Amino acid sequence: MRNPLFQFVVAAFATIFFGVTFQVPRRHFVACGIVGAVGWVTYLLCHDVAGFSAPAATLVAVLPLAALCRLFAIRFRAPVTLFLLCGIFPLVPGAGIYYTAYYFLQDEGALCAERGFETLKIALAIAFGIALVSALPLPRHRRLPSKK
Amino acid sequence: MDMNSPETQRRAMHLVMDTGKLLLENGGEVFRVQQTMQIMASSLGIEDFNTYVVTNGIFASANDCNEVRHIPSVSIHLARVEALNELSRELAAGTLDLEGAEQRLETIRAMPARRPAVIIAAAAAGSAGFAYLFGGGLPETLGALAAGTVESILAHLCRRWHISRIFSDIIAAAAGTAVALLCRAIWPPLDASITTIGALMVLTPGVSLAMGIRDIINADYLSGAIRLLDAVLVAGCLAGGVVLTYIAALAIWGVTI
Repeated sequence: MRNPLFQFVVAAFATIFFGVTFQVPRRHFVACGIVGAVGWVTYLLCHDVAGFSAPAATLVAVLPLAALCRLFAIRFRAPVTLFLLCGIFPLVPGAGIYYTAYYFLQDEGALCAERGFETLKIALAIAFGIALVSALPLPRHRRLPSKK
Repeated sequence: MDMNSPETQRRAMHLVMDTGKLLLENGGEVFRVQQTMQIMASSLGIEDFNTYVVTNGIFASANDCNEVRHIPSVSIHLARVEALNELSRELAAGTLDLEGAEQRLETIRAMPARRPAVIIAAAAAGSAGFAYLFGGGLPETLGALAAGTVESILAHLCRRWHISRIFSDIIAAAAGTAVALLCRAIWPPLDASITTIGALMVLTPGVSLAMGIRDIINADYLSGAIRLLDAVLVAGCLAGGVVLTYIAALAIWGVTI
């Protein structure tokens, strides 16, 4: 694994840049960056250091990511989507899509199927992770502090 | 103001419908739209309010008005979603009345989007960042910067000319791959794969994926299925675009993959 601090910073900036394209207000940039970077560094730790498979590492990485999204949503009273849409991008299997096409082209049927299946597994891992964290119940009054 | 006169009821209904439409257009999830509309309707005292929301439409009825809104296309503007959220919260807390809410809605609708040049620059910089994260060195990062720029300019033009998303995704992915191959032609040690992947990240269906999941978690299966289908389609388009460029490069210039 390359310098984790540098990875964290670049992941944060990449997430923020994507946030810009989604018109995220400037005051939420830092939170978005942290969400994306935490997801990415967790993924790297699981994948490169602990040796997890890509889908398993993605699942583990989504958990703190989604939890942070909820935390920031409560803290800044903003929709969860605002942080989640940007923060999830480092984990989206863009490479999987590419390599599936790449091996398809090279007539590597087995590799192509393997990569395509892995891409699907990563997408499912993201889905499962978000679902797990979203399903955790929170006391109602903490979510809407202003309402009587 | 008499909240029960037919005139005010109609105005309130209009406000609720337009808020719902604006939310859905700018990237709100289905359940949020539904919830926001219900909260607003009950704070405004709309009688007998019922609503059904799907990914591209809102149907609602109240005592003596029925309204439908069609939302043909979504373009993500999260600042608007946040502001609309705030609007409904203030309405529920009673710090905003009908008139104030109508004015606020107009302000939100007029919220500016960032300039296209800024969006394109951000998408390109993001591409470069991802190329680095996925193991690229300086040449790959710079290549992704170039590919990302070309790609997002194309995507922007396609949106302006109302070209279908499927086609624009294929074209943008193909162009991004072409730029990556071009960069490799200039600088042979460059890893064209990493460059392309970095540039592809702008186009990946991360938004549809995340929103589809959130819809399904909230038991809006139909809307979730629509969005997930969109994600699968986009992924297929990206793969198709990459394949297209490689085939062309192979056939025309004999570039090895």
